Amino acid sequence: MNFWRRKKREEELDAEVQSHLQMAARERTEVGKDKREAEQAVRREFGNVGLVKDVTRDVWGWRWLGEIADDARYGLRMLAKNPGFAIVAILSLALGIGATTAMFSVIYGVLVNPYPYANSDRMVHLVVRDTGGHRRYVELNGPQLRQLRQAASVESSAAMDGWELTTTEGDLPENVHAVYLTPNSFVHFGVPALIGRGLLPSDAPEGQDPENVAVLGYQFWQRHYGGDPDIVSKNIQLVHKSYSIVGVVRPRFTWGDGEVYLPLKLTADPVRSYFPMIRLKPEVSRAAANAEFQSLVEQFAKETPTHFPEHFRVAVEGLNDHFVADIGGTLSLLLGAVALLLLIGCGNVSILLLARGTARQHELAVRSAIGAGRSRLLRQLLTEALMLSFTGALLGVALADSLVKLIVNWLPQFSFPHEATISINLPVLFFSVGLALLTGIVFGISPALQSARPDVAQVMQANTRKMTAGVHGRRTHSILIAGQIALTLLLLAGAGVAMRGFVRMMNVNLGYDPHNVMSVGIPVHDNSYISWEARRAYFHQLLQKVGGMPEVVSAGISTNATPPNNGWAQVFEISGKPMAEQQLARFNVISPEYFAVLHIPLLQGRIWDESETTHGSKLALINQTLARQYFPNGDAVGREIRAPGLKGEPPFNLAIAASDSWFQIIGIVGDARDDGLRNPIKPSVFVPYTIMMPQYTQILVRTMVPPLKILRAVREQIHSVDADQQAARNVRDLDGWITTQPEWEQGHLVASLFAGFAILALALAATGLYSVISYAVSQRTGEFGIRMALGARRTDVLKMVFRSAAMSVAGGVVTGVVLTITLNRVLARWIQGSSLDALILVVVILIMVATAGLSCFLPALRASSIDPVVALRYE
Amino acid sequence: MIEKKARYQNRIELLQGTLDLLILQTLQWGAQHGYGISVAIRNRSGELLQVDTGSLYPALHRLERQKWIKAEWKVSENKQRAKFYQLTAAGKKQLTRERSKWSQLSDAIAGVLQPEE
Repeated sequence: MNFWRRKKREEELDAEVQSHLQMAARERTEVGKDKREAEQAVRREFGNVGLVKDVTRDVWGWRWLGEIADDARYGLRMLAKNPGFAIVAILSLALGIGATTAMFSVIYGVLVNPYPYANSDRMVHLVVRDTGGHRRYVELNGPQLRQLRQAASVESSAAMDGWELTTTEGDLPENVHAVYLTPNSFVHFGVPALIGRGLLPSDAPEGQDPENVAVLGYQFWQRHYGGDPDIVSKNIQLVHKSYSIVGVVRPRFTWGDGEVYLPLKLTADPVRSYFPMIRLKPEVSRAAANAEFQSLVEQFAKETPTHFPEHFRVAVEGLNDHFVADIGGTLSLLLGAVALLLLIGCGNVSILLLARGTARQHELAVRSAIGAGRSRLLRQLLTEALMLSFTGALLGVALADSLVKLIVNWLPQFSFPHEATISINLPVLFFSVGLALLTGIVFGISPALQSARPDVAQVMQANTRKMTAGVHGRRTHSILIAGQIALTLLLLAGAGVAMRGFVRMMNVNLGYDPHNVMSVGIPVHDNSYISWEARRAYFHQLLQKVGGMPEVVSAGISTNATPPNNGWAQVFEISGKPMAEQQLARFNVISPEYFAVLHIPLLQGRIWDESETTHGSKLALINQTLARQYFPNGDAVGREIRAPGLKGEPPFNLAIAASDSWFQIIGIVGDARDDGLRNPIKPSVFVPYTIMMPQYTQILVRTMVPPLKILRAVREQIHSVDADQQAARNVRDLDGWITTQPEWEQGHLVASLFAGFAILALALAATGLYSVISYAVSQRTGEFGIRMALGARRTDVLKMVFRSAAMSVAGGVVTGVVLTITLNRVLARWIQGSSLDALILVVVILIMVATAGLSCFLPALRASSIDPVVALRYE
Repeated sequence: MIEKKARYQNRIELLQGTLDLLILQTLQWGAQHGYGISVAIRNRSGELLQVDTGSLYPALHRLERQKWIKAEWKVSENKQRAKFYQLTAAGKKQLTRERSKWSQLSDAIAGVLQPEE
């Protein structure tokens, strides 16, 4: 744009001046003057052609543009002359800017309005908190949902339900996660379909069964149908029912992670409950909504007490609140870490520029002497700095792209909204450009200020090489180095704490043996095996088939008991022992083989047998924690225990008669992790799986080979019992169950990234130190030569070089330790463990000092091996 | 170099009002190129006013930017391609304004300079 117009005007100005000169010369020759003489006279009269053009150009108002272009060209030449400097500087910046950009794009994607839904800021989850502060999503039945819709604060509400269905077209049934939505849902979300249409009210007319129509999830459409554009009006068979496909949702519509969306009809059945979705009216505050819902939900709790805790407060939550609380802190911490990395990178470039600035003082003095103003020199130096930072940013953004992918892979699977698109997008790019500008100014300004004020007389008189940086320059160097070392130490300590916490978690005593065991989930279809006896027989048969396979060592039913986070939390009572306070235990429904499969030892008493399972005998085993906590005298076996909440809800949840009555404790088993990897083990109770059979069970399978290898064979066995029975999606071995625990994923994310960032920081700091020392050594070559000529030994020179660095390194280490200790509170909030750990601090200091020593050693060695004769001639 | 340039700029400033007036006045008789303008001013002032090129061209380009004159490449009577400047309607108005300002100024100065009677 401007550039071309400017170029054209330049040419015109040229021509204009030329024509002036020619006309003036012609007039003179016409009156008889010699041609050459005439031209000379004209030139004399015209004056300095370049200057005339220059002042004319100034009128155009584009002078600064031309100067920037000049500066840039000149800067490029200077960089090309010092490729080593340029590469180190640009890489330092690229690492910092890349990492910061990546972290920012993850934060932007996850935390800044990740939802595609209309007015998603007013959409809330209905959550209650019990007296212990535990949050629980509220489920409501049909009539309750109708009442909720009438509430004054509600603008719009819909309901959902979900279940695992299966395709019945292929050779083995494939699991399909179905989300049932009331047909007003698509209006509620306000997201149009990608192809075809969403669900409509006519899909589930009042008083009739819903139509057999299905809307496909985007991913499922891609995976199962290869993104077939002519999908609408084709049919999909789910559990022998044919559904007509009416549309495909948009990629970011992932509500409930549905693979198919089917119309939901609310029934009047009080047992059947659904998940409500609410959008508040614009002017209604959360507090006002909470107040209104409180009385409403209290009334609901009287109707269906089992769906609610005994005492609770309603606290609606925005869609993202939970994720922000869950991972927001971790991400902010990581952003802080990369900001440190960026600062260290900036420090590096600052140091390099300063060192170079001193070396360039002669050049700058010359420019100043022939008339360059101070602001002009400042601008020149800043332009060079900005060129570096923008090149770094460019490279950094390229780097960020792959780093983002890595981080997204490592993000805990369920701690960020799946609607989020995490990528390098426009806001992120703006951020990076801003960052480049900022860093360019930050690292460029101090060297520029210092170098743009050369003392012309002194510099010009001084010998170009012999000069040592003034005291002021050296102090700036020392401060920058110390700052770098302090920040690096802080990062190292953070990494140390994170890694130690993670390693501790990895080495936690599980109490069970996860190797070569997998858990095969089995979702039972609606309206099948709905009597207690039929379901018991079905589960038993499945277990028999899988257990009988030759590759299988042992197998057991573990309906809700797959570790490391298992069981239903229930309030329980012990016979003859009044409850002091509400006591909670995790109730697990399992088959007797469970303990053998997991290698959990029986410490006392016995395990129930096959026939007791078949009859649903009310027998219980407890874990050591429960025994120790509630039977300190070791008299647990023979006592009785009951959970008043342990009740069936036919036809979904089938329980033996009087499942909420007393169970006899017949034994104690060893403690195994049951509340994740980090929390202490909770009291657990194990009862026969026949006590309570929901529409879902799991079979634990111990094998000789890696268990997932025989998954297909297991699925075939299940298929042979019931041709429609699929295995759940994402069957994992128990090692996989551990590594998908949120605390494991989070620990892994933080520890790996922190470690990576700390290593980069260390490398940057080492480079910075190395450059400063090398530079100082090269400046002092002459001095060292003289000293050695006068009798200094090599070790003396070595010592001198080390001493010059020692002060700033020591200062940096001390500052870093102080920083680490001060920031311990912040760190400890998101990282398990404390940086006050002496071992970590000592190791970190050792690493830092060793790295610093190494960075000084090479230049020092070079200094000490100077041949005095050569050094003195070096001038 | 800077100082030299500054000297030029100072002179422009000093002459700015007058030079603009002279240029506009010269162009009233018809389109003219830069060299022609400088010759015309010199001749009409009885060789007294020498217009410095370092002032003339910036002034021409500034007047053009202010849309008081416009430029066109044409061939001169000597078959020489040159950039001809021409008064615009706005330029003519400006010329009237400048002239009256100038006569006011010269009257005022004459008044000041007149020996007291």
